[in-house]
Amino acid sequence: MSIGKFLVKRLLQGVLVIWGVITIMFALRAVSPGDPANLIVGPAADPEIRDQVREQYGLNEPIYVQYVDYVQGMVTGDFGYSFQSSREVTTMVLERVPATLELAIAATIIAVVIAVPLGVISASRRNEPADYGATLFSLLGISTPNFWLGLMLILLFAVFLQDPMETYLGFSFPQGRRTVGFGEAVITLVTTGYAGDLLTWVRHITLPAITLGTYFTAMITRLTRSGMIDEFGKPYVTATEAKGIPYVLIRYKHVLRNTMIPIITVLGLQLGTLIGGAVITETVFNWPGLGDRLIQALNARDWPLMQGIIVFIALGFVLINIAVDALYATLDPRVTNE
Amino acid sequence: MIPDRLESNLRQGFRESLLPKLGLVLLASILIMAIFAPVLATHNPTRTGYLDENGNSYPPLGTSYTTEIGQDGEFVEVEVESTSDHLLGTNDIGQDVFSRLVYGARTSMLVGLLGTGLAVLIGVPFGLISGYYGGRVDDAMMRIADTMLAFPSLVLALALIGVFGSAGFGIPDPLTRFGLIDGMPESTMLPGTVTVVVALVTWVWFARVARGEAMSVRNEEYVTAARSMGASNWTILFKHVLPNSLTPVIVLATIQVAAVILLESSLSFLGFSGTTLSWGYDISRGQGYQRTSWWISMVPGLGIVFAVIAVNLLGDWLRDALDPNIEGEGGGA
Amino acid sequence: MTDTDDILRVNDLSTRFFTEQGQVNAVDELELRIERGEVFGIVGESGSGKSVTARSVIDLIDAPGEITDGEIWFDDAELAETVREDSPDAVDGSFVDLLSVSPAVRQSLRGTSFSMIFQDPESSFNPSLTVGEQLAEAVEVQRRASANPRSTKAKTDSAEYSFGNLLLSTVLPSQQFVTEESRERAIELLELVGIPDPVERAGEYPHEYSGGMLQRAMIAQALAGEPDVLIADEPTTALDVTIQAQILDLLDDLQTETGMTILLITHNLGVVARMCDRVGVMYAGEIVERGTLEDVFDDHVHPYTEGLLGSIPELEGANGQLEPIGGNVPSLLDHEMEDRCHFADRCPMAMEDCLDHPPEFDATGSEAHTVRCVLATRSYTERDALPPNYFGDEERPAGDKHAEPDRSDGEQPAERTQTTISDAGGESR
Repeated sequence: MSIGKFLVKRLLQGVLVIWGVITIMFALRAVSPGDPANLIVGPAADPEIRDQVREQYGLNEPIYVQYVDYVQGMVTGDFGYSFQSSREVTTMVLERVPATLELAIAATIIAVVIAVPLGVISASRRNEPADYGATLFSLLGISTPNFWLGLMLILLFAVFLQDPMETYLGFSFPQGRRTVGFGEAVITLVTTGYAGDLLTWVRHITLPAITLGTYFTAMITRLTRSGMIDEFGKPYVTATEAKGIPYVLIRYKHVLRNTMIPIITVLGLQLGTLIGGAVITETVFNWPGLGDRLIQALNARDWPLMQGIIVFIALGFVLINIAVDALYATLDPRVTNE
Repeated sequence: MIPDRLESNLRQGFRESLLPKLGLVLLASILIMAIFAPVLATHNPTRTGYLDENGNSYPPLGTSYTTEIGQDGEFVEVEVESTSDHLLGTNDIGQDVFSRLVYGARTSMLVGLLGTGLAVLIGVPFGLISGYYGGRVDDAMMRIADTMLAFPSLVLALALIGVFGSAGFGIPDPLTRFGLIDGMPESTMLPGTVTVVVALVTWVWFARVARGEAMSVRNEEYVTAARSMGASNWTILFKHVLPNSLTPVIVLATIQVAAVILLESSLSFLGFSGTTLSWGYDISRGQGYQRTSWWISMVPGLGIVFAVIAVNLLGDWLRDALDPNIEGEGGGA
Repeated sequence: MTDTDDILRVNDLSTRFFTEQGQVNAVDELELRIERGEVFGIVGESGSGKSVTARSVIDLIDAPGEITDGEIWFDDAELAETVREDSPDAVDGSFVDLLSVSPAVRQSLRGTSFSMIFQDPESSFNPSLTVGEQLAEAVEVQRRASANPRSTKAKTDSAEYSFGNLLLSTVLPSQQFVTEESRERAIELLELVGIPDPVERAGEYPHEYSGGMLQRAMIAQALAGEPDVLIADEPTTALDVTIQAQILDLLDDLQTETGMTILLITHNLGVVARMCDRVGVMYAGEIVERGTLEDVFDDHVHPYTEGLLGSIPELEGANGQLEPIGGNVPSLLDHEMEDRCHFADRCPMAMEDCLDHPPEFDATGSEAHTVRCVLATRSYTERDALPPNYFGDEERPAGDKHAEPDRSDGEQPAERTQTTISDAGGESR
């Protein structure tokens, strides 16, 4: 099977999955107790107005018509209107995507940059202090709820250390809502040469990114360590040693590379954890991303908005997993050939 | 049920490393805390008003803090001292933090164990059938599983709770119900919706593992032999295939308990769990009081960390000894 | 047949594994002389220490194993010159003691002076790199070694290619370890070992090769460095019978062509008979009988050798089928090894004399023929025989962990649970 065919197959599966997600969301809404019209105009509203609203949102149609409309809307990118603010859901979702992406990407970068070397060191110096330290760190990292970690980081850096940091380092990590996005900051830097916005962005994102990234750092460290130890025990490593090539090549070109291939798939599957973590991290840090908006939508029982956000997240998840599979297929020659 | 070789691996792993022992001790302590909460708690965890004369929370034993109180429009700084009545201080509305820590273990453990158990009951049969029958059945069932996986578990859990609300029901506490202990809550709130929801969002991992095992034994000779002797598919599934998949399921279940505890605490933190006697909920309580009363959210957080570490240590031990090749999702947090 | 200059002199070599069950004496005070250009076979059961011996020579013993004692003298005048400065004790004439030189020097000999063929070709290649690339790596080692005079090369091979080079190589092709010339040479090597369409094949991954093809590729890889000594560890065990013969033919041809020395490790006497000039029979970490092919096949003294050859009448069953040697692979655990002939508990001719550990006696036949058995000096008498149950008859289960050290090197799935030799004397598997 060629990579092209493999991808087409995965894309078709992805379409099925998204359809399933859309259907589940629709079904949830259909069985949800309470009249949605109440949520829009309030239970005390004039019945006439309520009927008008029901008409406007298509709530009077038979259920299958609503379903077809709904799926049609989703397919064309029309996620409907928010009950609460009457704004277009698509806009409300898209305007929050950059902040979440910034956070998720920053966390992933932190995780990979720290975890892979840590895992390599840990595996290469088994049962030495460095290994124990890395193991302890990763145990703590996978066991700490990130909302609590976030609060503790705020407590440490934004409460206890804020004044000393300002005094001695000239900066601190602010506690308030993010004031500037990465995109805007970069544009400012490019057009005016002013780097202050970008630095502000960095100070804002540091704690949330660490909070979200810690679990992944810990997990990748563990996976890298155990994966490399397994890999080192394989016969081909001995055979490669027998060739007399430099050790650095054995460790990185052969062993680490082969260790990372399966880790990539595990990470694809763990994206759900990353997104779930982003939702809660955003809540803790008041980060203006999708998760923050999702919690607002849930609290307000704003169905269209909630559905829009969840379907969007699922879409992202599926697409990223397909990308991960494609990457895996190019790295591991056995996948597409079997 | 567990083959001898694995048993000796388990023993060896336990003997050689400090970590499984530490995990067992930690988990045992937390379970004891959960079961004997009415005995161990020093105060009724739901009773409010343990505050000093100015309405300030007490800090943990041995610490103090300064705060400002208003007096006729003027503010004066006062020092709030700890009291030996409240080992870990009290929270913003004057509930005893230590007692809430003890009772919080109940919620975590109940949801962790019941939620995982329920997930096993849903996921394992699903996976076994899917893997054993293979073909179209498998394809269809795996698409369902893929769909479930496309939802981040926390997000799906939030959506489900958004729909069904978060109901809980009280489980009577025998220790107080029979009058053995006075002044403690008579029942423990089990966040029912949350328990079902965590099972609904985590069963897929069990299905995947069970499916893999079923596929691997489907063509084994002894299964073929059983079939040729006229055993029905159901007999084969439950007599031959199920026992084979138990080892990886046990390991995964252990790891998933940790994930479920984290998920429950996240839901409670966000205020979606339906109970207020929970570590996650207490952490969110303290969120607004970080500047002065840091312990309100720090203490229950440590409770979660220790509980999850305990379970993870045991999970690592089982995984190293039994060595199944499995993966599961991490906590929703 | 061969001239009489030794290329390798192994004295007193002991390799031990320090496991949880105790110290395992995988190789015990082993003596070995290998002449330049000969094919020397070491034959024995799984767990006899033959593989560990081979790996000790090429320095591939991994923890918890360790070479605890001994000398491995290797004849290489050039190397001797280089080493003499730093460690004069490690040099004797043109010989160098490999166990006294620095690890870097030792490492630099891999691929160029010694190379190795492994039993299971499928697991001995990295699955995610092309065969051509892996061969080219081996070629590159030789290319770089010959580009530099030995003196600099011997310092540290790995310092030449550092982590920095590796990082740079992700963006700069010129920093890659493997060069285009080596890739081309790799293709030539594939052709040399009889792989059709070598250009295309070089770009394929190990799983796209058949077992026999892959073994050919491994031989090509081992030859890439033009080694002085080729160690072949069960080179045909994992292969089909028809392929086995082809691989042996190939090895034979290449040996004739290049005149390299081969140390052949096998449990199969058929392979020995076909390939070797001299042979050593290994049991419980020592060589119990050695000599020319004729010595071992026709004039053998040791009952174990006889057992291997399947010529002990009592062990032949009613149906004329070859019966395995009774009993178990010996425990190599230090605290369970008694100071006696280690084969005595399985030996049909065990006598009271066997309770002393026998030295190597000269035996009839060629000059090279020695045997570690009292039967070389006296004959068997019923009167001195040990009672049948002298060593107890408790059986250790098959796949006993005492046989572990050989296996933990991960190369012998084919004889994993074999505690007996049922396939001696032919390619009948």
